[in-house]
Amino acid sequence: MAEVKKLSDGIFEVIKGKKQLATKNLDPGKTVYGEKLIQVEGIEYRTWDPRRSKLGAMILKKFNIPLKEDSKVLYLGGASGTTISHVSDIVSEGAVYAVEFSPRSMRDLIGLASRRKNVYPILADAGKPDSYSHLVEPVDLIFQDVAQPNQAEIAARNAIRFLKKDRYLLLSIKARSIDTVANPKEVFKEEVRKLEKAFEPGFEILNAKDLMPYHEDHLGVVAKLK
Amino acid sequence: MKINTWFGVLETDRAGKILESRLLSKDVRELALHSLSLRDNRSDLSPEGFDLKAAALECGFVESSAEYYSLLHKITLEAAKLQVSGALTPDQRIIQAVEALDDVNETTNSLSERLSEWYGGYFPESGLAGEDLSLFIAKYGSRENLDPQDPLYSKARSSMGAKLEPADEVLLKGFAESVCSLYERRRQIETYIENSMELVAPNLKLVAGPMLGARLISLAGSLEKLAEFPSSTIQVIGASKALFKHLRARAPSPKHGIIYSQPLINTAPWWVRGKIARAVASKLSLAARIDFYSGKKDPSLTEKLETKVLLIRTLNPRPPQKKQESGAKPRKKRRK
Repeated sequence: MAEVKKLSDGIFEVIKGKKQLATKNLDPGKTVYGEKLIQVEGIEYRTWDPRRSKLGAMILKKFNIPLKEDSKVLYLGGASGTTISHVSDIVSEGAVYAVEFSPRSMRDLIGLASRRKNVYPILADAGKPDSYSHLVEPVDLIFQDVAQPNQAEIAARNAIRFLKKDRYLLLSIKARSIDTVANPKEVFKEEVRKLEKAFEPGFEILNAKDLMPYHEDHLGVVAKLK
Repeated sequence: MKINTWFGVLETDRAGKILESRLLSKDVRELALHSLSLRDNRSDLSPEGFDLKAAALECGFVESSAEYYSLLHKITLEAAKLQVSGALTPDQRIIQAVEALDDVNETTNSLSERLSEWYGGYFPESGLAGEDLSLFIAKYGSRENLDPQDPLYSKARSSMGAKLEPADEVLLKGFAESVCSLYERRRQIETYIENSMELVAPNLKLVAGPMLGARLISLAGSLEKLAEFPSSTIQVIGASKALFKHLRARAPSPKHGIIYSQPLINTAPWWVRGKIARAVASKLSLAARIDFYSGKKDPSLTEKLETKVLLIRTLNPRPPQKKQESGAKPRKKRRK
């Protein structure tokens, strides 16, 4: 029989043979990307594959994920909605503003959003927060997974506009999309420095760890506006 | 201070209190269109940390939080749907066609090989391959059904191939018909690409030819992106492996990517190919820009390119001499 252990608000570990990261399914009976559904004591859990989700990997790497049931989240780089579906499970009473630039990915995201009332799809360039400032309210968390060379700048612009005071920015930095040839460690150092110094008011870095073995050459970062 | 929001325009004082509001009706489509119209708006943006939901409640647009979120959900969904349906531009259709063509080619080749392997047991002397072979099988089936007028008749009579049983013949004929229809599909897609290229990117078609032009658009992702690429990027599109090897290690830089299929490049002698590739790439980039920004056809592009290429070839009539006297070990001649 399966066992459930709570890791933090809305995030669980389901033990059925092996340990698996999971969230409570907000859309019972449906899977999003071929993940497993596990029933425990009448509640349906969706397993969360850390290899397909940077946020999932960050949880397993013991990052503190400051999400609550009613959190408002700005998610930059939503892609097809793999991770968004889990964030939507966690913030069941909150909101996920999902910004994605590619119309192809948006197609999948629209499918997800039409089944989940707390996902708000926005087709826009995350580098231009002005283009969606008429839609997005102040949020409790910004998660960024955009894999752009100027991602530190994108994070800063969005945080200044939309992040509530003393709330957190989570981001994953992909070394390969910043500089394809440089040593990843150097790239990480430089990006962290940019987050701390390059913008006013700058971020305070609370935690930064690589996401091995789930994602190669990725750095997970938790930061806070100074 | 004026603030544009998805539900209307607000007038606030310095403290953020709403003095006046012009609200829109709660029609989802209208609100979605309004939201889209605000995308490129650069004035009267909401200030940093402005609480839209509180404002919507304060000015009476919605009665409750629940209503705010449910309406916003419908609107973002509707707006995103409108944007996605508008995203399938003609150049995107060309990209789909190019990708379909590659898939059809791959399938056709492997099925055609299978067919020739399979039928080879029954008529190895036919000397046919590819589409000819599949047409032959679809028409005759067994070599015994061959017309005496057919040039292959005598070969078929004396063939060492096995006898084709009726059950196998039905199977092979059906299989051959499928392969024939794939060849037909391939031509259909090629015609489609040629026609669309004439409409979407006439200059690119002129300089590159329809297939290369379409492939360039496909690899760049859109005509807009191709128009924004520097010509040095266009020169090496499709040679990413060689390019990154060059950037990472001491490998030589690639001279050309997929533009190699341009006849001016692949018919040139090896020592000027790099120079010609550079000239071709620069004209391709010009062509893409004219196509994207003005759309007028400019026949002088090819003339200028040909003059330039001729100049390069006359200036470099012979391969460069190797520097033997420097004592350096002569480099192994690479096959170009």
